Amino acid sequence: MNVETSFSGTTAVATVSGRVDSANAKDFDQELRSVIDKGVSGLVVDCSGLKYMSSAGLRVLLIAIRKTSAAGGGLALCRVPDHIREVLEVSGFVRLTKVFDTLEQAQASFSN
Amino acid sequence: MEVNYEWDVSVDGDEPRRVAEQFESICLEHGVPMGVVFKFQLALDELLTNVVSYAFEPHTHDPVIKVMLHLTDNRITAVIRDNGRAFNPLLDAADPDLDLSAEERSIGGLGIHLTKAFVDELEYERRDGWNHLSLVQPTKAHLEENA
Repeated sequence: MNVETSFSGTTAVATVSGRVDSANAKDFDQELRSVIDKGVSGLVVDCSGLKYMSSAGLRVLLIAIRKTSAAGGGLALCRVPDHIREVLEVSGFVRLTKVFDTLEQAQASFSN
Repeated sequence: MEVNYEWDVSVDGDEPRRVAEQFESICLEHGVPMGVVFKFQLALDELLTNVVSYAFEPHTHDPVIKVMLHLTDNRITAVIRDNGRAFNPLLDAADPDLDLSAEERSIGGLGIHLTKAFVDELEYERRDGWNHLSLVQPTKAHLEENA
Protein backbone atom coordinates (compact mmCIF):
# COMPACT_ATOMS: atom_id res chain seq x y z
CA MET A 1 0.00 0.00 0.00
CA ASN A 2 1.11 3.54 -0.71
CA VAL A 3 -0.54 6.85 0.15
CA GLU A 4 0.39 10.12 -1.54
CA THR A 5 -1.08 13.36 -0.29
CA SER A 6 -1.52 16.84 -1.66
CA PHE A 7 -3.00 19.81 0.16
CA SER A 8 -5.05 22.77 -1.02
CA GLY A 9 -6.20 24.98 1.84
CA THR A 10 -8.28 22.90 4.25
CA THR A 11 -8.87 20.22 1.60
CA ALA A 12 -6.49 17.35 0.96
CA VAL A 13 -6.35 14.55 -1.57
CA ALA A 14 -4.96 11.21 -0.38
CA THR A 15 -4.26 8.87 -3.27
CA VAL A 16 -4.15 5.30 -2.01
CA SER A 17 -2.81 2.48 -4.10
CA GLY A 18 -2.16 -1.22 -3.69
CA ARG A 19 -3.66 -3.44 -1.05
CA VAL A 20 -5.32 -2.45 2.24
CA ASP A 21 -6.01 -5.37 4.59
CA SER A 22 -5.72 -6.25 8.27
CA ALA A 23 -1.93 -6.50 7.98
CA ASN A 24 -1.47 -2.83 7.03
CA ALA A 25 -4.72 -1.09 8.01
CA LYS A 26 -2.82 0.52 10.92
CA ASP A 27 -0.48 2.24 8.45
CA PHE A 28 -3.42 3.44 6.35
CA ASP A 29 -5.05 4.75 9.54
CA GLN A 30 -1.89 6.64 10.55
CA GLU A 31 -1.54 8.18 7.08
CA LEU A 32 -5.12 9.50 7.09
CA ARG A 33 -4.91 10.69 10.72
CA SER A 34 -1.71 12.61 10.03
CA VAL A 35 -3.41 14.33 7.07
CA ILE A 36 -6.53 15.25 9.07
CA ASP A 37 -4.41 16.42 12.02
CA LYS A 38 -2.80 19.03 9.74
CA GLY A 39 -6.07 20.98 9.88
CA VAL A 40 -7.83 19.30 6.97
CA SER A 41 -11.61 19.17 7.14
CA GLY A 42 -12.36 18.02 3.57
CA LEU A 43 -10.54 14.83 2.69
CA VAL A 44 -10.74 13.25 -0.75
CA VAL A 45 -9.53 9.66 -0.95
CA ASP A 46 -8.63 8.86 -4.54
CA CYS A 47 -8.99 5.07 -4.91
CA SER A 48 -7.96 4.77 -8.57
CA GLY A 49 -4.89 2.70 -7.72
CA LEU A 50 -6.55 0.60 -5.04
CA LYS A 51 -6.32 -3.12 -5.84
CA TYR A 52 -7.87 -4.63 -2.75
CA MET A 53 -9.59 -3.49 0.44
CA SER A 54 -11.03 -5.65 3.20
CA SER A 55 -13.19 -4.63 6.18
CA ALA A 56 -10.01 -3.50 7.95
CA GLY A 57 -9.77 -0.69 5.38
CA LEU A 58 -13.45 0.17 5.83
CA ARG A 59 -12.85 0.65 9.55
CA VAL A 60 -10.08 3.15 8.76
CA LEU A 61 -12.42 5.04 6.40
CA LEU A 62 -15.14 5.08 9.08
CA ILE A 63 -12.75 6.68 11.58
CA ALA A 64 -11.71 9.25 8.95
CA ILE A 65 -15.37 10.03 8.17
CA ARG A 66 -16.00 10.68 11.87
CA LYS A 67 -12.91 12.85 12.31
CA THR A 68 -13.51 15.00 9.22
CA SER A 69 -17.21 15.41 10.06
CA ALA A 70 -16.28 16.50 13.58
CA ALA A 71 -13.95 19.09 11.99
CA GLY A 72 -16.89 20.52 10.05
CA GLY A 73 -16.05 18.91 6.72
CA GLY A 74 -16.27 15.36 5.52
CA LEU A 75 -14.75 12.61 3.45
CA ALA A 76 -15.33 11.91 -0.22
CA LEU A 77 -14.15 8.97 -2.28
CA CYS A 78 -13.43 9.08 -5.98
CA ARG A 79 -12.36 6.88 -8.87
CA VAL A 80 -13.25 3.71 -6.99
CA PRO A 81 -12.68 0.49 -9.00
CA ASP A 82 -15.91 -1.47 -9.56
CA HIS A 83 -15.04 -4.43 -7.33
CA ILE A 84 -14.21 -2.14 -4.41
CA ARG A 85 -17.31 -0.07 -5.05
CA GLU A 86 -19.28 -3.25 -4.48
CA VAL A 87 -17.60 -3.64 -1.08
CA LEU A 88 -18.72 -0.07 -0.25
CA GLU A 89 -22.27 -0.81 -1.38
CA VAL A 90 -22.64 -4.13 0.46
CA SER A 91 -21.24 -2.62 3.66
CA GLY A 92 -23.56 0.40 3.46
CA PHE A 93 -20.66 2.85 3.12
CA VAL A 94 -22.23 4.55 0.12
CA ARG A 95 -24.68 5.96 2.66
CA LEU A 96 -21.91 7.25 4.92
CA THR A 97 -19.76 9.00 2.35
CA LYS A 98 -20.08 10.43 -1.14
CA VAL A 99 -18.51 8.52 -4.01
CA PHE A 100 -17.58 10.52 -7.11
CA ASP A 101 -16.50 9.36 -10.55
CA THR A 102 -13.83 12.01 -10.96
CA LEU A 103 -11.28 13.69 -8.69
CA GLU A 104 -12.50 17.13 -9.82
CA GLN A 105 -16.08 16.37 -8.71
CA ALA A 106 -14.85 15.15 -5.33
CA GLN A 107 -12.71 18.27 -4.81
CA ALA A 108 -15.55 20.54 -5.94
CA SER A 109 -17.81 19.03 -3.26
CA PHE A 110 -15.65 20.81 -0.64
CA SER A 111 -15.13 24.09 -2.46
CA ASN A 112 -18.26 25.90 -1.24
CA MET B 1 -9.11 -28.93 -14.31
CA GLU B 2 -8.56 -29.95 -10.74
CA VAL B 3 -6.23 -28.13 -8.38
CA ASN B 4 -5.63 -28.93 -4.73
CA TYR B 5 -3.59 -26.74 -2.43
CA GLU B 6 -3.05 -26.64 1.30
CA TRP B 7 -1.59 -24.00 3.59
CA ASP B 8 -0.26 -24.37 7.10
CA VAL B 9 -0.99 -21.03 8.71
CA SER B 10 0.72 -19.62 11.81
CA VAL B 11 -0.97 -17.42 14.39
CA ASP B 12 0.40 -14.25 12.84
CA GLY B 13 -1.37 -11.15 11.54
CA ASP B 14 0.53 -11.25 8.24
CA GLU B 15 -0.60 -14.77 7.37
CA PRO B 16 -4.07 -14.02 5.93
CA ARG B 17 -2.43 -11.82 3.29
CA ARG B 18 0.04 -14.53 2.31
CA VAL B 19 -2.77 -17.05 1.83
CA ALA B 20 -5.08 -14.55 0.08
CA GLU B 21 -2.40 -13.45 -2.39
CA GLN B 22 -1.34 -17.00 -3.20
CA PHE B 23 -5.00 -17.97 -3.58
CA GLU B 24 -5.42 -15.11 -6.06
CA SER B 25 -2.37 -16.20 -8.10
CA ILE B 26 -3.50 -19.84 -8.24
CA CYS B 27 -7.04 -18.91 -9.34
CA LEU B 28 -5.95 -16.40 -11.99
CA GLU B 29 -3.40 -18.89 -13.31
CA HIS B 30 -6.27 -21.32 -13.83
CA GLY B 31 -8.59 -18.87 -15.53
CA VAL B 32 -11.03 -18.09 -12.73
CA PRO B 33 -12.60 -14.67 -13.49
CA MET B 34 -11.12 -11.79 -11.45
CA GLY B 35 -14.52 -10.74 -10.07
CA VAL B 36 -15.08 -14.20 -8.58
CA VAL B 37 -11.51 -14.37 -7.29
CA PHE B 38 -11.78 -10.99 -5.57
CA LYS B 39 -14.94 -11.82 -3.63
CA PHE B 40 -13.76 -15.24 -2.56
CA GLN B 41 -10.36 -13.87 -1.60
CA LEU B 42 -11.98 -11.22 0.55
CA ALA B 43 -14.09 -13.84 2.37
CA LEU B 44 -11.06 -16.06 2.91
CA ASP B 45 -9.07 -13.10 4.20
CA GLU B 46 -11.83 -11.97 6.58
CA LEU B 47 -12.44 -15.44 8.05
CA LEU B 48 -8.76 -16.25 8.38
CA THR B 49 -8.09 -12.85 9.97
CA ASN B 50 -10.73 -13.71 12.60
CA VAL B 51 -9.10 -17.06 13.33
CA VAL B 52 -5.59 -15.61 13.56
CA SER B 53 -6.80 -12.72 15.76
CA TYR B 54 -9.28 -14.39 18.12
CA ALA B 55 -9.23 -18.21 18.04
CA PHE B 56 -6.23 -18.65 20.30
CA GLU B 57 -5.22 -17.27 23.68
CA PRO B 58 -1.65 -15.96 23.74
CA HIS B 59 0.89 -18.77 24.18
CA THR B 60 -1.59 -21.53 23.26
CA HIS B 61 0.13 -24.88 23.10
CA ASP B 62 0.29 -26.24 19.53
CA PRO B 63 -2.13 -23.95 17.70
CA VAL B 64 -2.93 -25.40 14.26
CA ILE B 65 -4.63 -23.59 11.38
CA LYS B 66 -4.97 -25.22 7.99
CA VAL B 67 -6.55 -23.96 4.78
CA MET B 68 -7.48 -26.41 2.05
CA LEU B 69 -8.31 -25.24 -1.48
CA HIS B 70 -10.02 -27.35 -4.11
CA LEU B 71 -10.46 -25.76 -7.51
CA THR B 72 -12.40 -27.29 -10.40
CA ASP B 73 -13.86 -25.87 -13.62
CA ASN B 74 -17.16 -25.35 -11.85
CA ARG B 75 -16.40 -24.21 -8.37
CA ILE B 76 -13.99 -22.99 -5.72
CA THR B 77 -14.07 -24.80 -2.40
CA ALA B 78 -12.01 -23.80 0.62
CA VAL B 79 -12.01 -25.22 4.12
CA ILE B 80 -10.45 -23.42 7.08
CA ARG B 81 -9.72 -25.68 10.05
CA ASP B 82 -8.35 -24.66 13.42
CA ASN B 83 -8.04 -26.18 16.87
CA GLY B 84 -8.79 -22.91 18.67
CA ARG B 85 -11.81 -22.06 20.78
CA ALA B 86 -15.23 -22.96 19.39
CA PHE B 87 -16.57 -20.04 17.39
CA ASN B 88 -19.17 -20.01 14.64
CA PRO B 89 -18.71 -16.68 12.84
CA LEU B 90 -21.87 -17.33 10.81
CA LEU B 91 -24.02 -17.24 13.95
CA ASP B 92 -21.95 -15.80 16.78
CA ALA B 93 -20.98 -12.54 15.04
CA ALA B 94 -23.57 -9.77 15.30
CA ASP B 95 -24.92 -8.38 12.02
CA PRO B 96 -23.99 -4.72 11.61
CA ASP B 97 -26.85 -2.21 11.36
CA LEU B 98 -26.17 -0.55 8.00
CA ASP B 99 -28.77 2.16 8.56
CA LEU B 100 -26.86 3.82 11.40
CA SER B 101 -24.88 7.01 10.91
CA ALA B 102 -21.07 7.07 10.86
CA GLU B 103 -21.06 8.13 14.52
CA GLU B 104 -23.37 5.29 15.57
CA ARG B 105 -21.95 2.53 13.38
CA SER B 106 -20.09 -0.23 15.17
CA ILE B 107 -16.50 -0.67 14.10
CA GLY B 108 -16.83 -4.47 13.87
CA GLY B 109 -18.97 -7.09 12.15
CA LEU B 110 -18.38 -5.90 8.60
CA GLY B 111 -16.01 -8.71 7.66
CA ILE B 112 -18.56 -11.45 8.28
CA HIS B 113 -21.27 -9.37 6.63
CA LEU B 114 -19.15 -9.08 3.45
CA THR B 115 -18.27 -12.78 3.61
CA LYS B 116 -21.94 -13.78 3.73
CA ALA B 117 -22.73 -11.44 0.84
CA PHE B 118 -19.84 -12.60 -1.35
CA VAL B 119 -19.84 -16.40 -0.97
CA ASP B 120 -22.85 -18.54 -1.88
CA GLU B 121 -22.39 -21.47 0.50
CA LEU B 122 -20.90 -21.15 3.96
CA GLU B 123 -20.97 -23.88 6.57
CA TYR B 124 -19.58 -24.17 10.05
CA GLU B 125 -19.06 -27.30 12.09
CA ARG B 126 -17.37 -27.98 15.42
CA ARG B 127 -15.97 -31.51 15.44
CA ASP B 128 -13.52 -33.24 17.79
CA GLY B 129 -12.17 -29.95 19.13
CA TRP B 130 -11.77 -28.38 15.68
CA ASN B 131 -13.59 -25.54 13.93
CA HIS B 132 -14.37 -26.36 10.29
CA LEU B 133 -15.47 -23.52 8.05
CA SER B 134 -16.24 -24.35 4.45
CA LEU B 135 -16.76 -21.88 1.61
CA VAL B 136 -18.14 -22.94 -1.77
CA GLN B 137 -18.57 -20.67 -4.78
CA PRO B 138 -19.67 -21.66 -8.29
CA THR B 139 -17.42 -19.93 -10.84
CA LYS B 140 -18.49 -18.04 -13.95
CA ALA B 141 -17.42 -20.87 -16.25
CA HIS B 142 -20.03 -23.01 -14.52
CA LEU B 143 -22.75 -20.39 -15.01
CA GLU B 144 -21.90 -20.01 -18.70
CA GLU B 145 -21.93 -23.77 -19.16
CA ASN B 146 -25.50 -23.89 -17.92
CA ALA B 147 -26.64 -20.80 -19.80
